[in-house]
Amino acid sequence: MYVELKNINKQFGDFQASRHVSFTIERGQLIGLLGPSGSGKTTILRMIAGLETPDSGDIFIDGVRVNDIPAAKRGIGFVFQSYALFRYMSVFDNIAFGLKVQKKEQAFIQARVTELIKLIGLEGMEKRRPHQLSGGQRQRVAFARALAPNPHLLLLDEPFAAIDAKVRKELRAWLRETITKVGITSIFVTHDQEEAVEVADEIIITHQGQIEQKGTPIDIYRNPKTPFAAKFVGESTEISAYHQLPGFEQVDGFDRAVIRPEFVRMTKVAKEIYPHASGRGVIEDIFFRGNALEVRVDLSGEKITAYQQLDDDAFEVGEEVSVLIHRLYLSNEQEVRMVENLAINHVGSVFI
Amino acid sequence: MSFIHQMIHKKQKNVIPGFGLSMGITITMLSLVVLIPLGSVLIVLGNYTFAQVWQMVTSSQALASYRVTLSTSFVASIVNVVFGILLAWILTRYRFPGRRILDGLIELPFAMPTAVSGLALTVLYSENGWIGAILTRMGIDIAFTPSGITMALIFIGIPFVVRSIQPVIEELHPQYEEAASILGASKTRIFFQVVLPEMLPAVITGFGLAFARSIGEFGSVVFIAGNIPYETQVTSLIIMNHLDQFNFLGATSIALVMIIFSFLVLFGLNVLQAKVHKMAREA
Amino acid sequence: MKDRIIKTILILIGVLFTFLMLILPLAIVLFYALREGVVMFFSAITEPFAVAALNLTLLSTGITLVVNTVFGMFAAWTITKYRFRGKQVLTALIDIPFSISTVIAGLAFIAVFGRIGWANPITEALNIRIVFAVPGVVLTAIFVTFPFVSRELIPMMQAQGNEEEEAAALMGAKGFYIFRKITLPKMKWGLLYGVILTTARAMGEFGAAAVVSGRLRGRTNTLPLHIEMLFNEFQLTAAFAVSSILVMISVIILILRHVVEHRMKQEEG
Repeated sequence: MYVELKNINKQFGDFQASRHVSFTIERGQLIGLLGPSGSGKTTILRMIAGLETPDSGDIFIDGVRVNDIPAAKRGIGFVFQSYALFRYMSVFDNIAFGLKVQKKEQAFIQARVTELIKLIGLEGMEKRRPHQLSGGQRQRVAFARALAPNPHLLLLDEPFAAIDAKVRKELRAWLRETITKVGITSIFVTHDQEEAVEVADEIIITHQGQIEQKGTPIDIYRNPKTPFAAKFVGESTEISAYHQLPGFEQVDGFDRAVIRPEFVRMTKVAKEIYPHASGRGVIEDIFFRGNALEVRVDLSGEKITAYQQLDDDAFEVGEEVSVLIHRLYLSNEQEVRMVENLAINHVGSVFI
Repeated sequence: MSFIHQMIHKKQKNVIPGFGLSMGITITMLSLVVLIPLGSVLIVLGNYTFAQVWQMVTSSQALASYRVTLSTSFVASIVNVVFGILLAWILTRYRFPGRRILDGLIELPFAMPTAVSGLALTVLYSENGWIGAILTRMGIDIAFTPSGITMALIFIGIPFVVRSIQPVIEELHPQYEEAASILGASKTRIFFQVVLPEMLPAVITGFGLAFARSIGEFGSVVFIAGNIPYETQVTSLIIMNHLDQFNFLGATSIALVMIIFSFLVLFGLNVLQAKVHKMAREA
Repeated sequence: MKDRIIKTILILIGVLFTFLMLILPLAIVLFYALREGVVMFFSAITEPFAVAALNLTLLSTGITLVVNTVFGMFAAWTITKYRFRGKQVLTALIDIPFSISTVIAGLAFIAVFGRIGWANPITEALNIRIVFAVPGVVLTAIFVTFPFVSRELIPMMQAQGNEEEEAAALMGAKGFYIFRKITLPKMKWGLLYGVILTTARAMGEFGAAAVVSGRLRGRTNTLPLHIEMLFNEFQLTAAFAVSSILVMISVIILILRHVVEHRMKQEEG
């Protein structure tokens, strides 16, 4: 493994930012630290960088314990949330800064900076000041500046937070591609699950200073290990009286359930396929989401969200529809269990 | 795990280098210029008994000077709060010719040497001065009375109040008042119920700064006060008089009272400020 | 319509207040300075004691500026760039000179170097005079304006944040290099603003100087002290003539201050 955190704790006043944080990261991976604000993800990143000191626990990078190694000597590139570009320096001088500090030769600096400017596609803008750049361009400069001294590990704090929604998607793809091309082990922090899912090889979910789950995006999505992970990744509705849903029964020790929109299938009443597994709901709201419709349906008092493809049956608000829920995540304080709609299998076997 | 071990681990390392040097220079200079000289006042006080000091700080002349200082400072600061709010309001909310010059003039008392201000005010309000002559005919004396001191303190205090309140009014978005007026509130009602509560912390700060400055003010007061014992002698003047007579006991004792008093004012200000913030949050 | 009337009344009150309280004192200085003619004015300001007082004021202001700028930069850097225990206390201690009477500032140096001061035997042995001499005047000017530069810099540097400095430190830059290349360019206008305030206050310093200078005409008299002396000798025209020099400098300072403030707002926006 390349980066390892062992039982890290960190407290700011009476706020516990990290509790027993332990995880490992393999070389060459692109990792997303995902969590709501205040969940301690940025603190973890800053401790790895050496910008914060953990109260207890050990941090290893490439097998070396770095707790007592100053930030500047850890071989880390850091991209700040607001980029922290040196406002009184040109793009060129910003990128060259780390190399100048290392007293590299002028010719080498020239070559390296030119190479990086080409990598970020800002040829011709070397002389501009940060305030003359767009948000996306600033991010690229910050990225190049962090990469210039050839760090072994790249840390990015909310790299897309300060960018317009429009450009964000494009930049995500670019960043992912470029990091893969450079081949550097990277960790980025985000509160946006869509961003984490799209960019990261692996996601680490943080919540109240603790690590909830670590895994590939698909893995976390399919097998959430904790109630928080189940709710935080993907759209979801939480309900308590899940035994009233057709096809599900009360399971001891699980007091509530999470329903994902993908678990819900709605059809016109006339087209209902599994009567035993389905219930009747009333459409409350329909939102157009560009490539699909988001439908809110009232199923005997529970408000459930589902998606409807544009070429599926068209519904109207107030219409009664057949609602089939084929899967649920049951949860309690500690664990999550996936259960299937019993009635589907049952009825299905009769048909065969 | 040992306590020392925990201490070492608790210690936050600073990322930006140079802490020791810059902290060292800061503390050294602060000690040389401020802390050691002020501490020396206490050392001098240590030469005297408590009874001696107590007699000095409670002498009738000293007590009279506290009364004069506090009452004139208080009245001047209240006047400044009223006009300070008004000036801050018209400077931020209205556009009129000469506004920028008016805005610049507010700072005049900061920039003008206090002795010059004091001299100018004395001549202005003396019996045959431009304003003094008019007021004398009306039977009002300003120069060499507590009113004169108050005038001087209004002069030096006004920028503190205006400059404390101005940014708050600037930040206070007109939309806020527009919302209230759409709801049908009258202008005066909007001002007293919407705008004034927003300004309150800044008003308190402005008042406190002006008041603290007034208590210690010397240069602008010394001319217009006239140094009449029991009537127009402010506390700074008493210290000065004691020093002129090489009465170090008197000077240091009364200085101690003043220092304690300024700290009380600043402390009270902070407490009041915290209360107002708390009230604002609960409301 | 009603709004317009209220607006006009408020502006009139504001202008009247400003006129009575601020403009008239300014005007009266210039009026009295010139009321016995330009010749009197010039003889008053070129008189040797006035010139000596001006020179001492400029000297003391100059030294104060250097010392307090250095201190202000170090203090602001220490307070805004590092985390340490007792930061609140340090900030409060730096602000002390704001909250106490200038007379007490003078008294404090008498308590060190005066006849009763603990350092008196030392200075006497070395044959140096501090109190009732030029060093005393300079020291009190430094004391009185000590927090001015750091007070301007601290909020500004706090607002600018430390990320740029942290980024530079992460790449291995040393403290002084970070200060010179990154922090100094960011704070130059705030620094200038603090320097202007210090100049205004140091030049006009009266209470503390009155205590420690001993008012030796031509030797330890600063301009404000010289003015007081002329006033006490009933030389009103001369007093105002000398005052007008200080007033003119104050007006220039006010204008400079506005220009700098404008530049600061531009840089922010």
